[in-house]
Amino acid sequence: MANLILDERDQKFLLYEMFDVETLLEQPKFEAFSREMLDMILEEARKFAVNEIFPTLKSGDTEGCRLENGQVHVPKAFHRCYKLYCEGGWGAMSFLPESGGQGLPHIAAVAVRDWFVHNFAFFAYPGLTEGAARLVESYGTPEQKKRYLGKMITGEWGGTMCLTEPNAGTDVGNSTTRAVRQPDGTYRIQGTKIFISSGDHDLAENIVHPLLARIEGDVLGTKGLSIFLVPKYLVNEDGSLGRRNDYEVAKIEEKMGIHGSATCLLNFGDNGDCYAELLGEERQGMKIMFQMMNEARIGVGMQGVTSASIAYLHALQYAKERIQGSSIMDFKNPEAPRVPIIQHPDVRRMLLWMKSNVESMRALLYYTTLCGDRAESETDEAQKEKWRGMVEVLTPICKAYNSDIGFRVTETAIQVYGGYGYCSEYPVEQFLRDEKIASIYEGANGIQALDLVGRKLAQKNGAYFMSLIGEMNDTIARYREAPHLKDLADNVQKAVAVLGETGFFFAQCAGQKDFLTPVNNAYPFLMMMGKVIAGWFLLWEAGVATEKLNALSQEKGVDSTDPAAWQTFIKGSKEAAFYSGKVFSARYFIQNILPEAEAASKGIKSKDMSVVEIPEEGFAS
Amino acid sequence: MNIVVCLKQVPDTETQIKIGPDNKSIVTDDIKWVINPYDEFGVEEALQLKEKFGGEVTVVGMGPKRVTESIRTALAMGADKGILITDDALEGSDSLATAKALAAVLKDLEYDLIFTGQRGVDDDMGVVGPALAELLGIPNLSLIVKVEAAEDGKSVKVNRPVEGETLVIESSLPALITAQKGLNEPRYASLPGIMKAKKKPLEEKTLGDLGLDAAQFGEGARKLKILEMTPPPERAAGKIVEGETPQEKAAELAKLLHEEAKVF
Repeated sequence: MANLILDERDQKFLLYEMFDVETLLEQPKFEAFSREMLDMILEEARKFAVNEIFPTLKSGDTEGCRLENGQVHVPKAFHRCYKLYCEGGWGAMSFLPESGGQGLPHIAAVAVRDWFVHNFAFFAYPGLTEGAARLVESYGTPEQKKRYLGKMITGEWGGTMCLTEPNAGTDVGNSTTRAVRQPDGTYRIQGTKIFISSGDHDLAENIVHPLLARIEGDVLGTKGLSIFLVPKYLVNEDGSLGRRNDYEVAKIEEKMGIHGSATCLLNFGDNGDCYAELLGEERQGMKIMFQMMNEARIGVGMQGVTSASIAYLHALQYAKERIQGSSIMDFKNPEAPRVPIIQHPDVRRMLLWMKSNVESMRALLYYTTLCGDRAESETDEAQKEKWRGMVEVLTPICKAYNSDIGFRVTETAIQVYGGYGYCSEYPVEQFLRDEKIASIYEGANGIQALDLVGRKLAQKNGAYFMSLIGEMNDTIARYREAPHLKDLADNVQKAVAVLGETGFFFAQCAGQKDFLTPVNNAYPFLMMMGKVIAGWFLLWEAGVATEKLNALSQEKGVDSTDPAAWQTFIKGSKEAAFYSGKVFSARYFIQNILPEAEAASKGIKSKDMSVVEIPEEGFAS
Repeated sequence: MNIVVCLKQVPDTETQIKIGPDNKSIVTDDIKWVINPYDEFGVEEALQLKEKFGGEVTVVGMGPKRVTESIRTALAMGADKGILITDDALEGSDSLATAKALAAVLKDLEYDLIFTGQRGVDDDMGVVGPALAELLGIPNLSLIVKVEAAEDGKSVKVNRPVEGETLVIESSLPALITAQKGLNEPRYASLPGIMKAKKKPLEEKTLGDLGLDAAQFGEGARKLKILEMTPPPERAAGKIVEGETPQEKAAELAKLLHEEAKVF
């Protein structure tokens, strides 16, 4: 079966040619790994994704989930996928070897998941389990680890993340779920949680819910929240399953997309007997949950990348096959032969727009996780701190920029398909429906923007933001003198300067007690910063690709000054065509999209207050 | 029960094949290489028998160094050790020469069963398996879709589909089985399996190591010469039968079948 999930060559390019993962693998922490092994892992992930996960995308959507007698049933086809996922040991990828995991570098695990996440409705089940299990790994007592961790890593048991309540979503501190201390040190939970992904399902025999609640008497707001483990079935001393815990699945939501993912309303403790165990210390709930939320934010950023990736590859294939209209060069001739729509300039514009966005978003995702690996594997404290800071700054952008641009890529794919794209007989409309949620959950994109502008920019007196600017400038310096890339490097440099200035402008506003300007403009700033980062990565990609292309043309004795010979060379070699395509992605994006950053900065600096000044009565009559 | 699986590396069936400038070979530059799918059935069957009877599964491949990747994949699926016959002099060998090289490795191994694919999906010859059985002097059970080993592990009963019927053959061991589609569904290599595969033994052997004469291998020793490779002829465009009503269309179709296709 053909692979329309991701461009394998692009994945290898990022891992080995751009981000030099082989050097990372030389760190003692990763000595068990080699490139050869990583390639094998990715090949198995590809086979599994192409043959098993991708084919359930449509049936998962049409079949959806059912709630019957208090039990959720997932789409039939997910059962086989889940079983194979567990047998393949994929859930154990990034756990510590001492917990029974394989200890893969984050960037390698992300490359593997890049194959799986396109079917997010399926992936939500093992994905949330993994996040929840990692909380147990990081904060659980030895007894809790013994009780829950092993079975969660193998996927025998599931996991979730129970935060949201009817009046506590974005405002999580408003949570009213209560925990009552018991004489034996356990707790009893009472409250309602909504929008709980994978909150119930029939893929695993037990489910462990990390849940935020307030212990009776603790202060209001986020500071008073603690986190608990609430199992679906209580676990006996010998590891066997005991009574069904006192909570109910009251309903599952009817949604726009990801129909195969059960979004549950859970009522805890209706009979006053919902068992829970404290995870970590009391009132540390938010801090602990943030570990999972930060991982989940990068995961949602990945959802943006993978949706965009399948949407682009489908649109590309369709544009090559769909014949309609004659060539624009032949427009006066009614007898002219009809051509595939990929020959029409506006279709090419859409495809190249999608391509450059997919590639730069994927680079952002991989780079963010690589920073995490460096933070964990470097031995120098200053270096560790630098890479940790990079993860801090890049996480909200990875989440919000990738999810929003990812959505627009799926929309553009529908446009390429035309009327058929709007019909459910064709696959692309589902990609759009499935992707939309990514800008909303795990902290709506507006919240990500506030996190970026309100916290991350100013962290360590702006040191994290400045290290990012420093990394960008290093890349620019590398290609400023390169023939064919100089104009691109110059334009990226201008954009980086504008980004730096705008960040500084926010600092000045804050200095003058003008908090509204940064707050009003947090989202435009985040999207602008995302574009500058995308321009930076594309320049870097074009730089690496140009070097490779030159080496390849020399090896084949191609005269680069002879346009005909060059054309033959590019068309005759998949490698050459790939590298050439990389350079075009960069050129298109940097010359056509990146200038939008400057326009955004102009708007921000205008200090226009319309959004706060317009009276509510003025929004509509 | 000790089992040997012979494995060939072939271009992925999705690869777009280009014929080289000599018109006798294919361009190998942009090819993705995979385990021959029929050999993969052999690997899976061997692993299932091992799970039931114990013993060892050895994978034997032949070709350039890149074949190592395919052998490692079989090790990741669960095979125990690998042997790669690799030698520049093997380049261009025909099926009979391949069988000879494999036989030279196998004569030093202990085995109850040998699996090969019923054919390679690249050259479609289907010779190596039967030739190898002949060279080793053991029964050849070809195109097999079901294998049942006796409880004592001394004989097998196998099924071969024949013209819509099933031929059941019983054979003593050792024997060679060529695997046909339908035999099983090969497993995916698991992540822990891949991690373990790195530490499993994989030995390389040259023709010299096997005591073989290089002159009997390679392009020069071929009994079968490739004269020319051509792509399959391009299919002509189909024809849509015109007509206002089904009756008209049927009449038009009958006319075309008679006059153009001349089928009656």
